[in-house]
Amino acid sequence: MEIEQMTKEERSLLDSLKEAIVALDEELATAVAEKVVTTGIDPKLAIRYAVANAAIVVGERFDEGEYYLPQLVISGDVMDVVTKILEKNIPKTEMETKKIIVIGTVQADVHSIGKNLVATMLKSVGFNVVDLGVDVPSATFIDKAKDLNADMIALSSLLTTTMPYQREVIDDLVSMGLRDRFKVMIGGGPVTKAYADKIGADGFGRDAIEGVEVAKRLLMVQ
Amino acid sequence: MITLLEIAERTQTGEKIEDMKWDKLFYETISRLVKKYDIAHPSEHRFINTDDDMVGRAYEAAIEFLETMGIYCLTTKRRVALTREEILTAIREAPTEILMGTDRDRRVWKQRKIEGREQLNVCPGHHTPFSEDLAGLVVSNFAQIPRTDFIEGFNFTHIDGREIVGAPMEVYASRRQINWMREGVRKAGRPGLAVVYYPINTRAEDLIGIMDPDYGLRRTDGILLSLLPDLKMEQDMLSAAIVYEEYGSFKLSGSFAIIGGFCGGVEGAIIEGIAKPIAAMIAYRDYINYTGVEHVHMLNGRQILVPHVNWARSIVNQALNRFTHTICMRWVIPTSGPGTDLCLWEGAMQSIEAPINGMNLYAPRHCRTTINHGQTPLEAEWMIEVSDAVIEQGFDRQAGNELLGRIAALFENKKPAEGYDIGECYDLVHHQPKDTYREIYSRVKAELREMGLVKLVV
Repeated sequence: MEIEQMTKEERSLLDSLKEAIVALDEELATAVAEKVVTTGIDPKLAIRYAVANAAIVVGERFDEGEYYLPQLVISGDVMDVVTKILEKNIPKTEMETKKIIVIGTVQADVHSIGKNLVATMLKSVGFNVVDLGVDVPSATFIDKAKDLNADMIALSSLLTTTMPYQREVIDDLVSMGLRDRFKVMIGGGPVTKAYADKIGADGFGRDAIEGVEVAKRLLMVQ
Repeated sequence: MITLLEIAERTQTGEKIEDMKWDKLFYETISRLVKKYDIAHPSEHRFINTDDDMVGRAYEAAIEFLETMGIYCLTTKRRVALTREEILTAIREAPTEILMGTDRDRRVWKQRKIEGREQLNVCPGHHTPFSEDLAGLVVSNFAQIPRTDFIEGFNFTHIDGREIVGAPMEVYASRRQINWMREGVRKAGRPGLAVVYYPINTRAEDLIGIMDPDYGLRRTDGILLSLLPDLKMEQDMLSAAIVYEEYGSFKLSGSFAIIGGFCGGVEGAIIEGIAKPIAAMIAYRDYINYTGVEHVHMLNGRQILVPHVNWARSIVNQALNRFTHTICMRWVIPTSGPGTDLCLWEGAMQSIEAPINGMNLYAPRHCRTTINHGQTPLEAEWMIEVSDAVIEQGFDRQAGNELLGRIAALFENKKPAEGYDIGECYDLVHHQPKDTYREIYSRVKAELREMGLVKLVV
C-alpha cells in the first residue's frame, strides 16, 4: 500500500505520529505508534511516511535556528522508540537494514561540538550512527567499522595539526586493502573540499547540514 | 581561591560520569534554570540589552548552574564539583587588571565598564592559519598597529617544509610559532610586546615546550588555555595551567557559548556564556576571556546575523562586568572574508557593541578561516577606529541599539561573502590595503558616518 491509497483516518494518524515526533513528545508518539500498529497500517509505510518526514521537519527547524542539538538528540530518541514499536510488526525478512556510519573526532583532537551535531543529524535522518567520541585513533575507527560492517567512516577535526589523522585513516584503509569497503567523509573547521580531494576522501561536509546531504548521496539513501 | 592542585585532585576523585550523560544533564539543568529565572527575549527586538533586572537573573542562574554541574574533566570522565562558596570566592578574588609585556611595551589589560568611556584594550590579530613563508611579515604587520596591547600566535600546517604531524613535530612547530612572534614584534620595533601562544594542539608537551625566556614564551607573555564547550576541561590544559601559574605568564580562554550546542537556544547560551569564563578562571586561572554568545550557523558562515544573538551576547557581558572581575573581550568573527564590504560592516557592528557592553577587542577573523584567508591588519585597525568613535560619541545602550538596527538592515537577504587571501587584498610589504580594499574601506567608513557614527574620522 502507498500513502495515496490510505483512508483519511489512517493518513491523519500518521500525521499525528509525525507531529508528536516533531514536538519531541515521546509519550504521545509512543501511544500513536501503538495505535498505528493496532489499526493495521503497514509499519514500513509508517516509518517511511511519518518517521522520515518528521526527520525532515526536525532538520528544517535546526536549519532555521528553531531547534538545537538537544532537540536533535531528543527527536532521535523519540524516533528510536517509535521505530522499535513499528519494526516489531515487520517480518524479519522484510526489514530494511539501516546504513551504519562510524563517526568520531580524530586522534589528538578533543573538540566535539561539530561531530556531535553531524552524528545527531545523521541519526535523525535514519542512519545507524556509532559515535566513538573524541581523540579516536585510526585503528579504532577501522576496527569498529569492520566489526559492525559499517558503510561509512566519518572523521572530524578542528585543528590543522590533526587533519593529517584524517588522512591516516584513509591511508591505513588503503594499506589494509579495505579502502573500497567503506565510504569516508571528512569535516571540521579548517577542513576544505580541496583537502578532502587531496587525501582521497569520498566526501566533505562544510557543516552538519551539508554533511547529512553528502552522506545520503554517498550511501544512496533518499 | 581554590587551588589548581585541588582541581587536579578532583579530576581524579570526582564522580565518574559518561560524556553523553553529562551532555544530557547539561541540557536538562540549563533548561530548568532558563524557566526558573525567567530568561526570555523581550518582545521588542534589541541588539543590546537594556534590562538590568534580566542581567541579575541571568547571573544568578549561571551561578546555580555552575554549582549544580561543576566542570567535566574529559580526560578522566569525572565531575569536578564546586561549592557555591568556592565559586563566589574565586569571583571575588580574581584580578580586574593584568600586566603584560616588558619595558616600554608594557601594557595593562583591564576589565571595562558597561557604556565605559576609556579606550579599549586591543589584540589585533591571528588565531587563524598562515603559511610559513608569510609568518614573520604577518606578525610584524599586526605588531605595527600602534594600539596593539598583545598579539596572538597562529596555526599552520607545515614547518621547515614538512607537514606537522605527531607530538614531536608539534612541539618543534610550537616553538617556531613563538620564535616568529618574537621576531615579528622585534622587527616592528616593539620587542617587549606581549605575545600569546595559540595552541596548535592541546597536548601538554606542546603547551609547556614553548616556555623559554630567551627565545620562547616569556613570563610577561601569555597562553590561550580554553575551556571546551559544555564546561569541559582537560588534564593536559590543567597541567599547563599549573606550570604557567608558577612561571608567571597570563592565561586567557575562549569562553563564549555556542547556540546550537547542548546549551540549546539563546536563553540557555546566556547561562553557559556567563558560567563558562568563571569556570575557566577556576580550572585554568584564565582571567582574560573572549566572552559572549555565538550561533553555530554564524560560525559556519551560513547566516550573517541570527535573531537575538547580539542581545544574548550583551546580557552575558553585562552580567560578567557587573558581578564578576572577568576581563571580557569581543572576538570579532565576521562571516564574510577579508577584502569585502560585508566583512567591514560586520566588524563595525561588533565593534559598536564592544564598548557599550564592556568588552575589549580581540583578533578579528573570518569565521571559516583557511590558510592566509582569515584576516588583514585593516580589519583590526577598523575595529579600533569604530570603537574609539563610539566611546568618543558617548553612545549608551539605547543609541547603540538604534545604530546597530540601521547596520543590520544592510544584511537583509544577503549571504556572507567569501573574501580574499591576505596577499590579494593587503600589501604586507608596505603595511597598507590594496587599492580596491582601500576604496571599499573608505566607502564603508563614509556610510557609517552618515548613519550616525559622526565621530568617525573620514
